[in-house]
Amino acid sequence: MVAVRANKAHREERIALGFLMTSSAIFVLAIALIIGFLAYNGTLLFWHDHVSLPAFLFGTDWDGFGGKFGAAPFIAGSLLATGFAILIGGPLGVAIGLFFSELAPERVAATFKPAIEVLVGIPSIVYGWIGLTLLVPFIAKVFHAEGDGLLAAGIVLSIMILPTVISLSEDALRVVPNSLREGSAALGATRWETMSRVLIPAASSGLAVAVILGIARAIGETLAVQLVLGNAAVMPSSLLLAASALTSEIVMDMGDAPEGSAFRHALFSMALLLLLIAMGLILLIRFALRKRT
Amino acid sequence: MASAIAGAPPVNSFSESHARGRRLVDSIATVMLWAAAISVIGMLILFVVYLFVQGASAISWHFLVGYPSAADAGGGVGPEIFNSFYVLILTLIFTVPISVLAGVYLQEYAGPGRFRELVQFSAESLATVPSIVMGLFGLIVFVSLFHWHFTALGGALTLTLLNLPTMMRVTQEALSGVPATYREASMALGATKWQTVLRAILPSAIGPLTTGVVLVSGRIFGETAALIFTAGASVSYGASAYDFNPFHTAETLAVHLYSTQREALVPDAAQIANGSALVLLVMVLIFNVTARLVGRQLTLRFTGKAP
Repeated sequence: MVAVRANKAHREERIALGFLMTSSAIFVLAIALIIGFLAYNGTLLFWHDHVSLPAFLFGTDWDGFGGKFGAAPFIAGSLLATGFAILIGGPLGVAIGLFFSELAPERVAATFKPAIEVLVGIPSIVYGWIGLTLLVPFIAKVFHAEGDGLLAAGIVLSIMILPTVISLSEDALRVVPNSLREGSAALGATRWETMSRVLIPAASSGLAVAVILGIARAIGETLAVQLVLGNAAVMPSSLLLAASALTSEIVMDMGDAPEGSAFRHALFSMALLLLLIAMGLILLIRFALRKRT
Repeated sequence: MASAIAGAPPVNSFSESHARGRRLVDSIATVMLWAAAISVIGMLILFVVYLFVQGASAISWHFLVGYPSAADAGGGVGPEIFNSFYVLILTLIFTVPISVLAGVYLQEYAGPGRFRELVQFSAESLATVPSIVMGLFGLIVFVSLFHWHFTALGGALTLTLLNLPTMMRVTQEALSGVPATYREASMALGATKWQTVLRAILPSAIGPLTTGVVLVSGRIFGETAALIFTAGASVSYGASAYDFNPFHTAETLAVHLYSTQREALVPDAAQIANGSALVLLVMVLIFNVTARLVGRQLTLRFTGKAP
C-alpha cells in the first residue's frame, strides 16, 4: 500500500518535471522562432528584391509603391526621438529614484508609489491620445508651429520611460550598503554630497541598466509616437517639423503593403532592425552587470 | 592649521561661508528632488482629470454596449469592450500556466547550469522585443503562414509571447518570498518536491501571484501595436456583438481608439476616441486597485498573516 503510493508520487514527480521543463523550453523556442522568422523575412528585401543594404540604411527616399526603400529618415527619427526622451527622462527618472531611496518619508513613498504604478499601466495609445489632443496644440501655440514632430514625440516618450527608469534606479540605489552612507556622513558630507559623490558612483552600473532599459522602451514604442510625430517620411531637420520613426512607419504602411511585395519586405527589414537594436541593448545590459561583479 | 599660513583668511569665517554654501547646495538639491517627484504626480493627476473632463460626456449606456457605426454619429464600443476581455482571457489561458510552470522550474528545480542560463536569457530577450515587432511576428506566423487571417486567437497568442517574461518574473519573485522553512517542513513530512510545490509553496505565494496576474491583465487590456495586424482593426459582424469564435476578427477597445483616429468616417470620431480613452483609463485604475485588494485578501486567507 505504502509502496504503491510512493510509486505514484514518484510517477507524478516525473510527469511534473516534464511539464516544468517543457514550459521553460517554450521561452527558448519562442525567442528562437521570433529571431528566425524575422531574420528570414527581414532580409528578403536584400536577396529577393535586390535592394542593397546601404541603400536601405542610408537612402533618404521612401516610396513603398514606387520601389524606393531608403529607411534613413525613420532610423534618424527613431534615434532622435529616443535620444531626446532619454535626455529628459534619464536624469529626471534617476532624480526621482534618488528621492524614493534617500529622501521620501515612508508615508509620502506609500502615496506616490501607487501613482507611479498607474503611470506604468496607462496604455501607450492613451499616452498618444493625450499627446495628440493636449500636448500638440500646446506646442503649436507656444512655438507657432504645426505642433506635431520630434519635440512632441520626445516629450511623450520621456514621460513613458519615467516609471521604468525610476523604479530600476531606486532598486540600484537601495542595494548600496548603508555603511557607505554612514561613512560619507561621518566625513562631514551633506546629504546631496553623499548622493552625488558616493551613491551615484556606487550604483552606476545599476543606473546604467535603468537608462538602457528606458532606451529600449522608447525605441520600440509605437502608437504614442505615431500619433504625435506627424508621419512625414523625410529626414528630420527640426524638432518642430513632422517626422517619422521605424515603429510608426511600420504601423502606417503595413496595412497597405501587399503580401509578398518588396514594400512589405522593407517593413519587415525595419522590424528586424528594431529587433537587432533591442538584442544589442540586452547584451549591453549583460555587459554593464558583468562589470559590477 | 590654515591660520598658520601667512595671509590666509581667518579659518573660521572661511570654513563657515564654505559650509554655508554647501548647506545651500544641499537644500537646493533637496527642493529639486521633491519638485521632480511632485511634478510627476501632478502630471498624472493632470492626465486623469483631462481624460475624465474630455471623455465623460461621451460615456453612456448606449456607448458602452452599442454597436460601432460606419458613417453616422452615435456609434458605441460594445463589441470592442467584449473583445478586449475575450482576448485578455484567451491570453491568460496560455500565459499563466506556461510562465508559472517555468517560474517554478527556475526557482525551485533548476540548479545552476546551461539550460537555466538559456531560459533566463531567452526570457530577458523576449521581454525587450518591441510590441510592434511581436505583432509582425504574429502576422507572419498566424495570419499568413497558418492562413488564419485576423483572429482573436492569433492576437492572444501574440500577446502571450509578449507577456510570458513578465509573468515568469512575477512568479519567481512570489516564490522567492516563501520562507525556506515551508519547504523544509513539507519535505520532512515526506512530501515529494512536486507535492511541496503544489500544496505548500504555491498556496502561500498566491497573494503576490494574483497581484501579478491582475497587473499583467491591465497591460494586456491596453495593448495595441501587437494586435492591429494579428487580431485586426475591425469587429466581426457575426450573429451578435459578442462573438466567441476565436477564429473571427476581434478589434479590441485600444485598437479601436487607434483606428478611430486614423480612418473613421463618423463625424463624432474625436468624441468616440475620448470616450474610449476614458474607458481604458478607468479599466487600468480598476485593475490596479483590484490587484492590491485581491493580493492582500488571498495572502491573508492562505497564510493567516497580513502582508
